[in-house]
Amino acid sequence: MGANLKSLNVNPCKMCMPMGAVSAFAGIKNCMSILHGSQGCATYIRRHMATHYNEPVDIASSSLTEHGTVFGGRENLLKGLENLIKLYNPQIIGVATTCLAETIGEDVPAIIREFYDTHPESTVKIVSVASAGYGGTQYEGFNRALWSVVSQADMDPTPNGYMNIVTPMLSPADCRLLKNLLDSMGLKYVLLPDLSENLDGVHVERYERLKGGGTSLADISKMAGARHTIELSLFNGDKFSPGKYLEERYGVPLTKMALPVGIRDTDAFIDTLAALGGARPEALVTERGRYIDAMIDNHKYCADGRAAIFGEPDFVYSMTRLCCENGTVPVIAATGSVCPALKAALEDEVRRAADRALTEGGVVLDDCDFDLLENHAKALGVNLMIGSSDGRRTARRLGVDIVRCAFPIHDRVGGQRIKTLCYEGSLNILDQVANDLLAKKEEGFREELYDRYFDKEQQAAPVAPAQDIPSIPDMLKKTETHPCFNCSGGKYARIHLPIAPKCNIQCNYCVRKYDCPNESRPGVTTSVLAPEEAVERYVAAKSKIPNLSVVGIAGPGDALANFDETRETLRRIRALDPDVTFCLSTNGLLLPLYAQELIDLGVSHITVTVNAVDPEIGAKIYKHIDYMGTRFTGLAAASILLANQLSGLRYLTSRGIICKVNTVLLRGINDTHIEEVVKKVKELGAYISNIMQLIPVKGSAFENLELVSNREIMAIREKCAPELRQMYHCRQCRADAVGTLDEDQSLSFRSPCKSAGARSVTKTKKYAVASKSGSLVDQHFGHAREFYIYESDGAAVRFIEKRLVKNYCNGKEDCFEDKKPAMDSILSAVSDCGYVLALRIGDAPARKLQSLGIEVISTYDRIEDAVLKAAAGQQKKEIC
Amino acid sequence: MVRRQSILEERKKSIIDKASFCRGDGSGISCGKSSVSGAVSQRACMFSGARVVLNPITDAYHIIHGPIGCASYTWDIRGSLTSGSDTFRTSYSTDLRETDVIFGGEKKLEAAIDELVAQESAKLIFVYGTCIVGVIGDDIDAVCRRAEEKHGIRVIPVKASGFSGTKSQGYKLACDAIMQLVEPYKNIPKVKGINILGDFNLAGEMWIIKSYMKKLGIPVVSTVTGDASCESLLRMPSAQLNIVQCAGSSTYLATRMEEELGIPFIKVSFFGAEDTTNSLIRIAQALGDEAAVRKAVAFTTEEAEAAEAFLQAYRPKFEGKKAAIYVGGGFKAISLIKQFNEMGIETVVVGTQTGKEEDYEIIEHLVNENTVILDDANPSELEEFMLEKGANILVGGVKERPLAYKLGIAFCDHNHERKHALAGFEGIRNFTREVNLSINSPVWEYCR
Repeated sequence: MGANLKSLNVNPCKMCMPMGAVSAFAGIKNCMSILHGSQGCATYIRRHMATHYNEPVDIASSSLTEHGTVFGGRENLLKGLENLIKLYNPQIIGVATTCLAETIGEDVPAIIREFYDTHPESTVKIVSVASAGYGGTQYEGFNRALWSVVSQADMDPTPNGYMNIVTPMLSPADCRLLKNLLDSMGLKYVLLPDLSENLDGVHVERYERLKGGGTSLADISKMAGARHTIELSLFNGDKFSPGKYLEERYGVPLTKMALPVGIRDTDAFIDTLAALGGARPEALVTERGRYIDAMIDNHKYCADGRAAIFGEPDFVYSMTRLCCENGTVPVIAATGSVCPALKAALEDEVRRAADRALTEGGVVLDDCDFDLLENHAKALGVNLMIGSSDGRRTARRLGVDIVRCAFPIHDRVGGQRIKTLCYEGSLNILDQVANDLLAKKEEGFREELYDRYFDKEQQAAPVAPAQDIPSIPDMLKKTETHPCFNCSGGKYARIHLPIAPKCNIQCNYCVRKYDCPNESRPGVTTSVLAPEEAVERYVAAKSKIPNLSVVGIAGPGDALANFDETRETLRRIRALDPDVTFCLSTNGLLLPLYAQELIDLGVSHITVTVNAVDPEIGAKIYKHIDYMGTRFTGLAAASILLANQLSGLRYLTSRGIICKVNTVLLRGINDTHIEEVVKKVKELGAYISNIMQLIPVKGSAFENLELVSNREIMAIREKCAPELRQMYHCRQCRADAVGTLDEDQSLSFRSPCKSAGARSVTKTKKYAVASKSGSLVDQHFGHAREFYIYESDGAAVRFIEKRLVKNYCNGKEDCFEDKKPAMDSILSAVSDCGYVLALRIGDAPARKLQSLGIEVISTYDRIEDAVLKAAAGQQKKEIC
Repeated sequence: MVRRQSILEERKKSIIDKASFCRGDGSGISCGKSSVSGAVSQRACMFSGARVVLNPITDAYHIIHGPIGCASYTWDIRGSLTSGSDTFRTSYSTDLRETDVIFGGEKKLEAAIDELVAQESAKLIFVYGTCIVGVIGDDIDAVCRRAEEKHGIRVIPVKASGFSGTKSQGYKLACDAIMQLVEPYKNIPKVKGINILGDFNLAGEMWIIKSYMKKLGIPVVSTVTGDASCESLLRMPSAQLNIVQCAGSSTYLATRMEEELGIPFIKVSFFGAEDTTNSLIRIAQALGDEAAVRKAVAFTTEEAEAAEAFLQAYRPKFEGKKAAIYVGGGFKAISLIKQFNEMGIETVVVGTQTGKEEDYEIIEHLVNENTVILDDANPSELEEFMLEKGANILVGGVKERPLAYKLGIAFCDHNHERKHALAGFEGIRNFTREVNLSINSPVWEYCR
């Protein structure tokens, strides 16, 4: 179980029993397996095996359903046996149970007896194995299947001089290596199972569903008369040991030993075979010599290795010993199976390897998942993994490679051809271990030595800028990303939060209004937000517009006339986002009062609207101002406003705040005065000047003022440009604008939103298309549950909406009869259309439609093409 | 109906060719049924259907409650990419053992959730009940409910016993789980934008589709479930429109959202130039967004022309080639037939694991006279018909690949483990290249 999570297996280092069982059956000649359970088990196991072996893997399933689960799967299994015999004609069938069959208590032997009773002609041998997924891992499942085969097959105990060789799961290539060795020693043997061909086939002219390799039933029957059994497994226990069974039942002597991996265990295996009468050919001696030569060549590289070995117990045991023989420290030896014996068998070996390297010892783990393995690997320091590709995510996180040599391998090819056995296979693994370690060293040693020895502290640490004062480069950077202060800021977006409804002055060109979503000019918003709503809108906008760099407060009234809201909003947003630029626009009346507080709030950009720097002119523009509890008009009003604007502006700019001055161009009022305004604000430190067109607003005093042409504005701007930077790209935005200057998205952030597709009925005739797929006219009219409504003028096609038939049911309960929509509802769904396009239509509804003046077109086509053709045809008719 | 010796009697109704279909016996294809025992179906189970749809939710913890096999075989099974959390790629299982099966697994599950919340600060957990859990009677609904109350997070049960339904029914379970997740957010205000349903961001395909939406100026509210996060899914009810890419898995969800949240949906496909073009324009039209329609038309015209130019170079190489298709869902099969048509390749065998009657009707219209159509085919049938019809390439999943190779037939991976995008205009190029490199590989010259 997991390192941290005691009740959870986190990233499994094992598979289930049925996987092992069907893998074993794959090594029996003309054998087909069937899993008694639900369909998924077979499919997943097939996929797992097909990807590793790159071979077709056919495994049948009894495809149990709810019914079979409740009433028993007997019927399903009998049917399944019949069917797979028809399709594959096997000589032997392996029936492996799954979690489901075992839990509902299926008596598989009884079902098999019933099959024989009802099929007396059948010669097929059916072997059953109890392999509940929760009863063990694929390791136990494999072994149990072999035991089932041996204990259920017909045996011939006549002594025959053969040797039995029983193995755990091996790659086909390893099976071939083993067979070559046995052949070269001149021994007669039965290899159980023989996976060498069926899971690594050759390409043949004619494909055979059963490949013809594997241990035959005839050979299996000989096992009872063999002179000796060698079982290459130390951890499979006695209960389900095929060798133990043969020993107890038929008196065949048993030797259990480790897989021939590494020098010691290969030697031991060959010695045992020799003692049993095997010859030692010269080639074998040479092979051994070559392996030892390689061990010497590789030993210094291998000595760098700290390996994590994971997989089935026999595999882990063998690979751990191979590492130990070559000076690689097996830091972790882990199996996903429950196998306490592994620890006892390896502890000494692992400790001695660690002692030799004067390093701390490793751990031997059973019932382990990758989470636990990873934890140990991090703690102990691992630079290599040996096992299956299931370790690849762990390996990636550890930054190490895997020597892939166990099932399953899903991220490389050639799983079926991996060699690990005997001198040749051991050499293959040894080279891979050394090469992985060499590659790691070669890739990393330059950086590693640089990091270790080069003194980076020698270089003086740069002085960090003071945090609390925005530096000049900071301000300029903010300005660069501000769409209203910089032309190239256009790719950045801003949001105007409409939190300031009140205004403290009345300009003669202004009417503030709300609820006007389609008007875009200053002073307009759909609704006014409370500070908390404004923050919500900001958060929503920020999540959708990543380039949102500016939060502005632009009314609809004056930001400073609503200072409580302004302060509250800015404070809250700053708490969420320390980087966003704050800007606001104001008429400047209250600037002297709040300038410092604005700076403290982190406002970096301020726009002041200054339409005149001469009170006489100002008096013509401003109707009144409300200041300090008093309403001033005329010259007094204009003088106070101007004085405050100018002193406020100076205060701000002298403290590094970037100020923009907006000036509304009013023909006959301030059009000749503009240059003076620009000159004055320049003196006061303004950064940019924005001379704007008047937008005549109905109901305002200047409603009928003659406009200045764009050309005239450009001329004035150009005149002022030498004096002060000009803004040429103002869009005179709304108070709730969102997005870039070119792409207002404020509609998406208002609520409620108009629903899609809702549209007023037009006079153009509509086309109702019965479609299931949504791309083709492919539905019977009478089956249509929805219609796609289109318009067309014969040249273009336009999708309008999708209509659900059931929305036209007129409240009838029985709208859908027998799952089909009632014809009345269908008809009313299309009643306003001129044409109906459907795959097919019955006579009666066709007549009905015609009587309603709706033309019916039966077709099968792309929707757009069909509508276009219908429309074009219609036009032709009209011309004729 | 096809009658051949090696076709099982029970399977015959699920195999048709166009000639017999048009004879008008009206029976159509038999589909949507349980697999035939012993027939070696290529299908998975209800659990797998639910698992594959929900798995791409990147920051969700997926606990498989049951014995280890189901977790082991579905661990990180899809090639779904993430721009955020990696949590979904970790396998969590209660790994039930013999004693758990005897005494019940509820306590273990409860402890597992407690630990996960404590150690990983999980916000969203899906608990999948597999076969055994359905049989031993663990009340995972109750466990999940208690866990939600105790921890104040979402713990959503997905009761997916493999035997209790097909893979498509598993898709529905997943859709119901998503609805259960967004239930408390049903009434959040609508914003401009769409949800993309039924794309799982295999090889970054969701990102491709999103980039198209950006080009059209259409905001994407939520993606289901490719590159989704718990938080992004909760925004789902605020969209104006759902577009459904994998119709088989997600139409049910779209229908529920239409009925319960008032979000209309349209089906789309981004496989092939024709489908991609139509889909983009239709999305813009469905939103009533004129600017987007104009952008869609301009964009698709340009891209389709480029794709056509690309295809033109390849068409001579595909002359006379024939394709076989065996994929999961009907909608994908339909897209593939159209795409092969665009390439000048005739489809001679086509089948699906979970296609519906309507899908097969459409398929019937798209293919030529002698094309064989199969529902829930097995390896024997695929072998038989691919050889008989002289298919040069098979498009399918991992299990079918070795069979094709053994038969000397080229192969294209159109499954959820692939690592190259097949959607959108990029996908046309990838798909065409892949078909060419396999169908015209030199190796075939040496093995025949």
